[in-house]
Amino acid sequence: MVAIVDPDEDLVRRVGQGDPAAAQTLVARKLPRILALAQRMLGDAAEAEDVAQEAMLKAWRQAPKWAPGKARFDTWLHRVALNLCYDRLRRRREIPTDTPPDRRDEGPAPDRGLLAAETGVRVDAALKRLPDRQREAIVLCHYQELSNIEAAALMEISVEALESLLSRGRRALRQALSDMAPAGSPRAGRGDGR
Amino acid sequence: MKAERLHELADAYGADLRRWPASERAFAESLIAADPSLKSVLDEAATLDALLNAAPAPVPSAALTARVLAVAPKRKARSRLGRAVWYLGAGWAAAACAGVVAGVGLTTHLTADARADAVLYQSSLTGVDDTEVLG
Repeated sequence: MVAIVDPDEDLVRRVGQGDPAAAQTLVARKLPRILALAQRMLGDAAEAEDVAQEAMLKAWRQAPKWAPGKARFDTWLHRVALNLCYDRLRRRREIPTDTPPDRRDEGPAPDRGLLAAETGVRVDAALKRLPDRQREAIVLCHYQELSNIEAAALMEISVEALESLLSRGRRALRQALSDMAPAGSPRAGRGDGR
Repeated sequence: MKAERLHELADAYGADLRRWPASERAFAESLIAADPSLKSVLDEAATLDALLNAAPAPVPSAALTARVLAVAPKRKARSRLGRAVWYLGAGWAAAACAGVVAGVGLTTHLTADARADAVLYQSSLTGVDDTEVLG
């Protein structure tokens, strides 16, 4: 069995011993990552904060009994945060609301100018409109920069299935954002080329 | 076939080879080195990557950070009972040490007295013998 090298191992051990400096370092290292994961999975800032806080609470409880060598702490924390996100996504599906979640497509706006903030808003909206599993694959591989093996394991699918989700997700994003591609871009304005 | 796989990988993972499966990075690099026109495959994927990167990541608020840190594991403080047990133990240990010191001191003193008595006794015995011998 290949030994797992975990860059957080020593930090987690110190957190488990009640070292306040280690706790601060772990928060600085993990809270932004987990908050970003939750925000992109849920598309809701308040819910993302709740998920990030709950995931970190579980991290505090886990630290004193963390057994190094079985998994990377970062992967474990992603698993925890993803499960919390799944719970919330499931609840949303089970509780139909009178006002559906904001999923409106702002559509092409070539004359609006591609200000960075505006681009961000458009990309976030397009991500939010993706099917959950496609969005999850893109969030884990592109934004969280997990390896394909880690992402596939977290999603409990094969690497081939992950690749398929990634391809379909990126294709949908290209179509949704086709008006924003820089002029001269090979795929600008024609959605998916293949 | 090989170029097709390059398209598949770029479609799935984007243009940054660091996001590609580790086992296929060298394959992609060698393929592009052999046929530089294939670099356009990565350029296409880079367009979407740039758009995705334009979506900023949220920054944790100071309030959220404080809430999380407030419940971080702390070094365990001794309870009142624990402190009492600790002081009791320390008291017994101190008393035991004092006893040992006193015992050693007393023993040394007594041994010295006994040794002096023995010397005197030996001397007196020797004295009797001399008297007897000398008359």
